[in-house]
Amino acid sequence: MSCGDVNKPDCAEALARLEFFIDHELPNADFEQIKQHLEDCGPCLQIADLERTVKALVARSCTEHAPETLRQRVLVRIREVHVTITEQPG
Amino acid sequence: MTDDQPTDAPAPDESATESAEDRALRFERDALPFIDQLYSAAMRMTRNPADAEDLVQETFAKAYSSFHQFKEGTNLKAWLYRILTNTFINSYRKKQREPQPSMTEDVEDWQLARAESHTSTGLKSAEMEALERLADSDVKDALSKLPDDFRLAVYLADVEGFPYKEIAEIMDTPIGTVMSRLHRGRRQLRGMLADYARERGMKVDVS
Repeated sequence: MSCGDVNKPDCAEALARLEFFIDHELPNADFEQIKQHLEDCGPCLQIADLERTVKALVARSCTEHAPETLRQRVLVRIREVHVTITEQPG
Repeated sequence: MTDDQPTDAPAPDESATESAEDRALRFERDALPFIDQLYSAAMRMTRNPADAEDLVQETFAKAYSSFHQFKEGTNLKAWLYRILTNTFINSYRKKQREPQPSMTEDVEDWQLARAESHTSTGLKSAEMEALERLADSDVKDALSKLPDDFRLAVYLADVEGFPYKEIAEIMDTPIGTVMSRLHRGRRQLRGMLADYARERGMKVDVS
C-alpha cells in the first residue's frame, strides 16, 4: 500500500494541505480535490480522522461558565469607568 | 431581516450622538454576553480561575473605555478577543502566578517525532474510541502543557472557529506565523492525547 506515502504526489499534496482542508481555509476547487483524495485513500483518511477528532475534542472540552461574582464585578467596573468618562470635562 | 447582513455603507457614527448612559447600556447588551467565552479563553491562557477572573475584568474595563472606537456592524467578538489577548500578553503574562509550561521548542523535535510516528502508524480502533471519549480534564491538561502562543492559536481556531486571518489580527502576528503555531501546537497536542488514549485504550481492552 503506497497510500499515505509522502513520496506519492497525491498523498504528499493532500497531507501537506490537510490542516487547511480541515480548517476550511482552502478555495473550493482545492477543497474538493482533497476531499476526493480522502475518499480514495484509506491511510490519508485515517490521518484526517485523527486530526478532525482532536480538533473536535478541543472544541468540546473548553467551555466554562463565568462565575456570577465575576459578572457582578465586571458590571461594577463598567460603572466605575462610566463615571470616570462622564466626569471628564468636554 | 438585515441585522446579519454586512453593510457596505459606512455606519453612522453613533458614538458622537449617543449619550454615555446609552453607550453603557449598549455595551452591557452587546459585549457582556461574551463573558462566558472570554472567561473560557482566559482560563486556558492563565490556567487558573483567579487570574482568569482578573484578566476578564480588565478586558471588559479596557473594552468599555474604548467602546466609542468600536465600529458597530464589525466583529465585536474578534475585537474583544483582541483586547483580551493584548492584555494577557502585555501585562498579564509578566506577573503570572503559574510557572510556564515545561514543554518548549527545545523538546519539540522529540515530541514531533513521537507524534508523527503515532499518526503514521495510526491508533488502534480501541485507542481511537478511547481518544474520542477522553475527559474534558484530559484535554485541558494537555492544552495547558503547550507553549502560550501555540495554545492560544489552537484555542482560537478550534474552540472559537476564527479564520486564520482573524487569528493573525487578534494575535497581531503574520498569518504564516499563525499557521506555524497551529501546526506545531496541534502536533504536540495529538502526541499527548494519543498517549492518554493509549493508556485508557489498554484499560478498555482489558475489561
